[in-house]
Amino acid sequence: MSADSPLERPADAAVAQAAAPAQSARGFFRVLARPRVRRSLISLVVILAGWELLGRYVLTDRLFFVPLSDVAAELMKLAASGELARHVGASFKAIAYGMALAVVVGNAYGIALGASRTLSDYTEVYLNALYATPLVAVAPLLILWFGIGIASKVAVVFLISVFPIVISTASGVRNVDLHFLDVARAFGATPRQVVAKVMVPAALPFVLTGVRLAIGRAIVGVVIGEVFGASAGLGYLIYTSGQTFDVPALFAGVLCLAFAGVALTWALQALERRLVRWKPAPLED
Amino acid sequence: MANGTAAAVKLSVRNVGKAFQRRGSALTVLDDISFDVRANEFFVIVGPSGCGKTTFLRIVQGLDRPSSGNILLSGKPLAGPGPDRGFVFQNDALFPWRTVLRNVTFGPELRGVPRRQARAAARGIISLVGLEGFEGHYPHELSGGMRQRVNLARAFAVDPDILLMDEPFAALDALTREAMQQELVRIVAKAGKTVLFITHQIEEAVLLADRIAVFSARPGRLMRTIAVDLPRPRALGVKRTPRFQQLVEEVWGLIAESHGG
Repeated sequence: MSADSPLERPADAAVAQAAAPAQSARGFFRVLARPRVRRSLISLVVILAGWELLGRYVLTDRLFFVPLSDVAAELMKLAASGELARHVGASFKAIAYGMALAVVVGNAYGIALGASRTLSDYTEVYLNALYATPLVAVAPLLILWFGIGIASKVAVVFLISVFPIVISTASGVRNVDLHFLDVARAFGATPRQVVAKVMVPAALPFVLTGVRLAIGRAIVGVVIGEVFGASAGLGYLIYTSGQTFDVPALFAGVLCLAFAGVALTWALQALERRLVRWKPAPLED
Repeated sequence: MANGTAAAVKLSVRNVGKAFQRRGSALTVLDDISFDVRANEFFVIVGPSGCGKTTFLRIVQGLDRPSSGNILLSGKPLAGPGPDRGFVFQNDALFPWRTVLRNVTFGPELRGVPRRQARAAARGIISLVGLEGFEGHYPHELSGGMRQRVNLARAFAVDPDILLMDEPFAALDALTREAMQQELVRIVAKAGKTVLFITHQIEEAVLLADRIAVFSARPGRLMRTIAVDLPRPRALGVKRTPRFQQLVEEVWGLIAESHGG
């Protein structure tokens, strides 16, 4: 930073923030012309075309591999019959309920764990043990307890996604700069106010990282739950298609899951940009 | 400002001492400190590093407890931190997730002042420190000097009886520091505040102070209090006057003496 005299009104001192892109047709084409967007589109086209060609001319045995066009046709068929909506809806619902529960419980526990030495002495070691354990292994047990309906999937998703949230949030709370706590104390903040006004906002980037890790695990969790016992869902679709050698339907299910993963990650990144606007923005081209 | 031998005592420090226990042996940091700060006085504590001045200021703020002695603010003994004191931290320690406006309203918010009222008051203070137009900016968008202005405004916002300042300009470059020193004097005079300011820079002490308390190192003792009789307002040119040089050398002499034994 140059030696800007604070006596003169430093009207230009503010770092220029990129304005939101214009929401017009011209704006849309300008977005397409951005290097990052252009490169993503090129790689997508190459991969999809490669898939099609691979299925058509190289791996021609339809029992093991099918070209993209067959998968697209299968997707259309599933969508028209309402089957696709039923499977996607079932999986999505399980992820949404399970994640919502995990976010609420995980953050509440994570904040308490980060702020209380006692609580961490009593429970931290078990959390780390459970975080490292592949909890998908208990999915059959949960299905035994909760049945083949949505409840068991919600349980699997919750169990598998709550630990990264707890651990990430707790470490966020522990990493709060001690100066901020000093400031809060100097201004006479009560312990409650310290948590609500300093620890939680300071830990927010960690909270969002925890949720992002949890999303990936939640998708795995729901599929596993549906494989072990279900009557609907993308995991169920994939599993039953595999059993009946319906390779196009199998790929259709996998494609939907991949899309869900990308969409959820994007949504979370957008949320992150909104919530942590106070962080210096990374330079974009 | 400090015309008053008759002025009321704002802060009264009585026989304050601080000792830490280290592996069985006691380390005395502050030894029997006593002095008074008068209302509307700009009182500067100067001393070498290790003289316990930051510890002393933290005791006044209520962040640390004295091992002995007591402190009265406006006649009442101090117990714990409170909004009757405004603390300006050495590193600005602004909350990066809060805008300038919301950093300034932090203190009033803790006390449950209604939002509208707190914001209106904060806008006034932000304009007093010369930052109007920057209310919606985040700290990372401001220069070091501007962040220290926000730091000052945040302390002002609780309308304290006394401002406690812990080397607030130490991290600034020389030009910004000089500008901020002038600004501080202007703001404090306009708001009519009592200030307890600590620094290790002798010139800064002489430029700002009505009175200077010189601390010695290890353990911190109050060696002498020096009244600065330079007329106000003091422009930067005052540094070239013989009287300024004389006062600087007087303080230097005391600190050198304390090091010599």
